[in-house]
Amino acid sequence: MDIVLRAVVVYVFVLVLTRAVGRRELSTLEPFDLILLVMIGDLVQQGVTQNDFSVTGSFLAVGTIGVLTVIFSYLPWRFQILRPVLEGVPTILVEDGNVVEKNLKRHRLTQEEVAAAARVDSIESLSQVRWAVLETNGQISFIKQDGDS
Amino acid sequence: MADTPDFLTLKHNRDQAGKREVPIRRVIMVLVALFSVAGLLNVFGQRPDTSKAAVPAASIKLYAPTRVRGGLYYEARFTIDARQDLKKAMLVLDPGWLEGITINTIEPSPIGEASHDGKLVLELGHIPAGATYLLFIQAQVNPTNIGHRSQDVALYDGGTFLADVNHAITVYP
Repeated sequence: MDIVLRAVVVYVFVLVLTRAVGRRELSTLEPFDLILLVMIGDLVQQGVTQNDFSVTGSFLAVGTIGVLTVIFSYLPWRFQILRPVLEGVPTILVEDGNVVEKNLKRHRLTQEEVAAAARVDSIESLSQVRWAVLETNGQISFIKQDGDS
Repeated sequence: MADTPDFLTLKHNRDQAGKREVPIRRVIMVLVALFSVAGLLNVFGQRPDTSKAAVPAASIKLYAPTRVRGGLYYEARFTIDARQDLKKAMLVLDPGWLEGITINTIEPSPIGEASHDGKLVLELGHIPAGATYLLFIQAQVNPTNIGHRSQDVALYDGGTFLADVNHAITVYP
């Protein structure tokens, strides 16, 4: 029973923590972020399984996390009111070439970072951007102004 | 003003996006930081504390953690200072010393062990007046052992009670 409870507690904690940390941080996979992810995975595993090396224990932990994943993807799909809480809201960062400063501030983003993300999409200048949206997965999507190829 | 992309509105996705989320995120991060600070301040163990008791015949000092977490290794050190000759010194430990805790070693090994009213009796033998006897217990908390237990220790000389130290342990998950 303990292993299931531990898996639930750790899953909910990681979910809350990742939501609190902010989506932009989670979407980047710099070498340091990658190492951090592996570290977190290792630390979480110890907390869930502790000294249980059994196959049954693994099944219980992985099964519980699988079920929770389905539950937490079903809930926002079924109840729209939960979407902002569990997934967040897409945030407009650039409108008609103008940066929405307060939204950059809310997500601890700089204009330079948005411009860098735009360059990845082959956009030279934010003035060419009609809409830039910080999606719930942390990626920034760009829609160009009419007439820009 | 440009039309917004599908499913996005200026009100929800530009003006109000993150308005409530940001303060909630900050509160959560503050709570997480406080949790870490509490850990630094030994709220969840495993820093040892010292407890003492003394009578004219002897004094006993226990140096052991009062808060630990599942799976941790820890040490308990018992220091007995004999002011008078203790012919048959014995330490009597509450069951909380053993409940869900694996004793890896007791050094020096007692000359005998017994059970008395459900308590563990460690027979230490003769401690001459003026001598100090050090006993170490190396232990590990079983991960399933969560809760608060008494770990009182009593010092006897044969059948004569000398002193006891009140100690308790809290095991966090």
